[in-house]
Amino acid sequence: MKKTIKSIIRHFVLLFLSVIWLIPILWLFVTSFSGYKGINTSHFFPETWTLDNYAQLFLRSDSIVQYNRWFLNTLVIAIFSCLISTILVLMVSYTMSKLRFTGRKGLMSFSIILNMFPGVLSMIAIYFILKTLGLTNSHLGMIIVYSAGAGLGYLICKGFMDTISVSLSEAARLEGASEAKIFWSVIIPLSKPIIVYTVINAFLAPWGDFVFAKLMLNSGVATDWTVAIGLFNMLGKSMINKYFSVFCAGGVIIAIPISILFVIMQKCYVEGITGGSVKG
Amino acid sequence: MKKALNALENYFKNFGIAFVKGDIWVKLSAVLMGAGYFARKQVINGIIMCLVEVLFVVMCIGYAAPNLAKFGTLGTVQFEQVFDPLTMTSTVNDYDNSFLILLNSIISLFIIFVFIVFYISNMKAVYRLQQQKENGEHINTFREDVRTMFNEKFHITLLTLPAIGIVIMNILPILVLIAVAFTNYDQQHMPPNALFTWVGWSNFKNLFTSSVTVTFGYSFKKVLVWTLEWAVLATFTTYIGGILMAKFINDKKTKLPKLWRTLFIIAIAVPQFVTLLLVRNFFADNGIVNTFCNSIGFTDFLKNVGLVPSNLSYIPFLTNPGWAKVMIIIINIWIGIPYQMLVATGVLMNIPEDQIESARIDGANPLQIFIKITMPYVLFVTGPSLITDFVKNINNFNVIYLLTQDVFVTSDQLLANSNAKEVDLLVTWLFRLTNEYYNYKMASVIGIIVFIICAAFTLVTFTRTIKGDKEEEFQ
Amino acid sequence: MKKKVLATLLATAMVAGCLAGCGNSNDGAASTPATEEAAPAEDAAPAEDAAPAEDAAPAEDTSSAADASDPIATLIANTSGTVALTVWASEEDQDLTTKLLDDFKATYPDVTFDITLGAESESTAKDTILTDVEAAADVFAFADDQINELVQAGALQEVAAHYTYDVAAENATGAVEAATVDGKLYAYPMTADNGYFMFYDSSVFTEDDVKSLEKMIEVADAAGKKIAMDISNGWYIYAFFQGAGLELTLNDDGMTNTCAWNAAGGTDVAQAIIDLTASNVFVDMGDEDMATQIAEGNVVACVNGTWRAETAQEAWGDNYAACKLPTFNAGGKDCQMSSYSGYKLVGVNPHSANLGWSMLLAEFLTNEAAQTARFDARGLGPANLAAASSDAVQSNPAIAALAAQAAYATPQRVGGNFWSPAETLGQILASGNPDGTDLQELLDTTVEGITAPVE
Repeated sequence: MKKTIKSIIRHFVLLFLSVIWLIPILWLFVTSFSGYKGINTSHFFPETWTLDNYAQLFLRSDSIVQYNRWFLNTLVIAIFSCLISTILVLMVSYTMSKLRFTGRKGLMSFSIILNMFPGVLSMIAIYFILKTLGLTNSHLGMIIVYSAGAGLGYLICKGFMDTISVSLSEAARLEGASEAKIFWSVIIPLSKPIIVYTVINAFLAPWGDFVFAKLMLNSGVATDWTVAIGLFNMLGKSMINKYFSVFCAGGVIIAIPISILFVIMQKCYVEGITGGSVKG
Repeated sequence: MKKALNALENYFKNFGIAFVKGDIWVKLSAVLMGAGYFARKQVINGIIMCLVEVLFVVMCIGYAAPNLAKFGTLGTVQFEQVFDPLTMTSTVNDYDNSFLILLNSIISLFIIFVFIVFYISNMKAVYRLQQQKENGEHINTFREDVRTMFNEKFHITLLTLPAIGIVIMNILPILVLIAVAFTNYDQQHMPPNALFTWVGWSNFKNLFTSSVTVTFGYSFKKVLVWTLEWAVLATFTTYIGGILMAKFINDKKTKLPKLWRTLFIIAIAVPQFVTLLLVRNFFADNGIVNTFCNSIGFTDFLKNVGLVPSNLSYIPFLTNPGWAKVMIIIINIWIGIPYQMLVATGVLMNIPEDQIESARIDGANPLQIFIKITMPYVLFVTGPSLITDFVKNINNFNVIYLLTQDVFVTSDQLLANSNAKEVDLLVTWLFRLTNEYYNYKMASVIGIIVFIICAAFTLVTFTRTIKGDKEEEFQ
Repeated sequence: MKKKVLATLLATAMVAGCLAGCGNSNDGAASTPATEEAAPAEDAAPAEDAAPAEDAAPAEDTSSAADASDPIATLIANTSGTVALTVWASEEDQDLTTKLLDDFKATYPDVTFDITLGAESESTAKDTILTDVEAAADVFAFADDQINELVQAGALQEVAAHYTYDVAAENATGAVEAATVDGKLYAYPMTADNGYFMFYDSSVFTEDDVKSLEKMIEVADAAGKKIAMDISNGWYIYAFFQGAGLELTLNDDGMTNTCAWNAAGGTDVAQAIIDLTASNVFVDMGDEDMATQIAEGNVVACVNGTWRAETAQEAWGDNYAACKLPTFNAGGKDCQMSSYSGYKLVGVNPHSANLGWSMLLAEFLTNEAAQTARFDARGLGPANLAAASSDAVQSNPAIAALAAQAAYATPQRVGGNFWSPAETLGQILASGNPDGTDLQELLDTTVEGITAPVE
């Protein structure tokens, strides 16, 4: 009897917590169906329900809302930058974890410190470097922004690789495999969880970044933007009262695929992150 | 430190030895870099080295020299434009752009530095070839050289590409901004229309002194204190919260742990900027939470307790300094806990079950077990990542910026005079200084300080991990 | 063979299109490329210029006004290939600008344009432009408070000559002044309504009520409603201090300010603001919030500008009314609230690759026809004298209120150090001076911040 009550209380607490966690998300979801375009400040649920906000996103593209283009732009940028980042991260992690060469530790300390420099500050210099190369306002430029420096974020991945037993690569070496071969056919297949982790993180970055994107994509032309700038822009002073519910609809649309990705990959994600941070 | 100096000394010593003891070909390599290879019949290597040298010389003449010549002054020719109303075109003089001069000079200096390193190692390599030949050892063919790139020298192959990216995205920008901290680059000196120049340490002096009109010193102190407070609070609240939550959900008595976990994960799957902007409107002065609190009489209750100023008809969640700071931390808990929960879930699964079992047999209650066994284990395992989180929070731009930008108005006049706010972190302050006030010089100085603080924290923890050489224990 | 037929067809179509286009442009006198007085009025125009430039004007150009003696014809002749231009207009102005751009293309049928329209709010144009002037649009709209900084950053091409209409003569003097820095005209006035005044719900207030802020508060309090103003904002709080005769001016260096807010009487104004807001009827509220609160019926009067007219009209219907700002009582004396008169301007980027076309386009976007169209579409008050004199404009309540306020309004000329300290002062006063700082001290600190030197 006492046990049942305890169990009920336990689940009640969980229910309470998840309500707290989900209220803003629920608000996002219901507001996206609101017939009133501005912020509804007196009712949680919209007074009129409509699908018009979604229609505006997908069907009525104008010079402010170009959701289809934003989605495509972001998708292209995300796919390529996630490919490149993952490759770079794996290259560095493998080197730091499995190869031994002079200067390795110095290099590791150096890269850790380098990673501490606040990105928002180096932004303006990166902008001018890319401008000199003619890469502002282009997908290629954005891909470089999101992926070129990825090599620095190798720590967690290296931590994971450290846990892979050295005897496997030794065995391969005895059979005459080159280091490149060991990297490709021994280590990579064993690193699946951390690869998933790295891929998800790299894939998500372009969807959430508005600071770099806003600086690099400064043509003012809506078709060039990513989802993040487009949505961020909708909450500007002169826009928010006409676009708030459209913003919510846009937020829901990007949240859906990402949530699904997260839920499916949950196991890998947890294994990857803990395998890596166990070592730190 | 001493070790590093010794290494540096040896580095140059070996170069000297190579040059002095080398034969004619090695000495010739000092001028024509490929010479030493030709002499040992490594023709392709020789050609590559010569090409690199030619490219370098061309770069020097065409790119480095014109920029470096102006590096001392950062340009002297002001932008001028003459408009011809008849042809409706304008002619622009051959003006100097201080920023581009600075940027190009730093890129040039960097390339020159890399070349020198390359040059020295080339000399050594050539000398080694000579020795190999003298000793009658086997000299690699080009194909064999390539093969070593995938074996003994595989690390070079793997690191080249990431290194290039890091140089472009991290090293060069950092060097440029360190340089900017010593110039007067601000809104009054913005290229292309105006020039800026070197001013020495005066920006640093401004940051550490405070006068009536220049309040950077005052603001810096306040912002720094809040940044550290925030970093500590934000890190620990989410960390502890995450562990407790994971423990709670993973407990055997909890039904459907997967479902609960998924519910919380949904909250982090929505991109942060969407949730944060949403929450900002959720808690706005005239937002929906306020409407609700008003209607149930909570606002009046807080007024009676004295937590809300009596002249307000709403709870200033994000507009009053005290309230805003608390709210920011609470909202950060909301955002951070699901993530920490994921981490902790993995860690908790690996806890050695036997220890807990034996403690239970000894009669320890669950709380004791948690404090005596679980926490020490978790702390041991995730300690280093705690510091990473701490540093990440020092630089947590998104949460602060998205929650307070355009909403929070400072009521501290001295902060206002240097464009800071009570809720600003060093990074958001420097972002606004560049983005809204174009005060690049001060932003760079602040950036360097942030960098030093973070680097110090990281070094303390990571030198332990790196030097401790615990890497092998798992392998 | 087929190709040839197609080409002939295309050519015919194009000529027809041109004729149609030219016909259109001749209808609207204001948009005709070059009328007599349009030729550069200044010392320019040397003798050769008067002689017809034979290479210009192709055969199909039937526009009689283009008598080939002017720079436009020369420009057309010198233009080969596609003219690529980028234009930035505010989000609300997109539809209208798209239409105007089509008209512009039709006006110059011989030139192939590739015009990209971007969205950039006039109030924040500066932020995007100053980050990298060279990457900014060729033609952009901005609010006149940004003109000093834009000129200083070299982001505005001087309007050294005009081609299709006389910018200085056809626009209101105030608008031209607002577009002028150091005696040089730097931009093309687009609207003359970027100032603020009072909107109210006439079912709550009578015309007598809205003469004094104290009376308004009394009435609103009785009705259980609120009056809103963005007090914690330098732009609006200026109304109180300037209204009490305490001046804020920009120094000759164009960067620093002189400010008398801490002079005698300053504390009375500060106290007045504290007293007014203490009632909790007159509230400090940002613009976005105001829009929602008006729609929800909580706010029945607000200090705001024409951009909120639509919201107020929707919410209050026939009871929608506007008037000049009321008086307020400072130290026992009734003071008329002052305001900033604001304008929206169109500027040309000096780094534009097609400077000539950019200038022509800027003129086109701000000529009489365009300003009239802008009023018709969005209710924005024209700066153009002819457009502003039309009956429709005169009878618009918001614009009438602005005109009534004009006598107490001053052009906005302040240095960058004004905003943060003034905003904070507003925040402190509107929240009732919670720390109980001595008001004189409060004002002294504010003035120190506002007048701080710029290194």
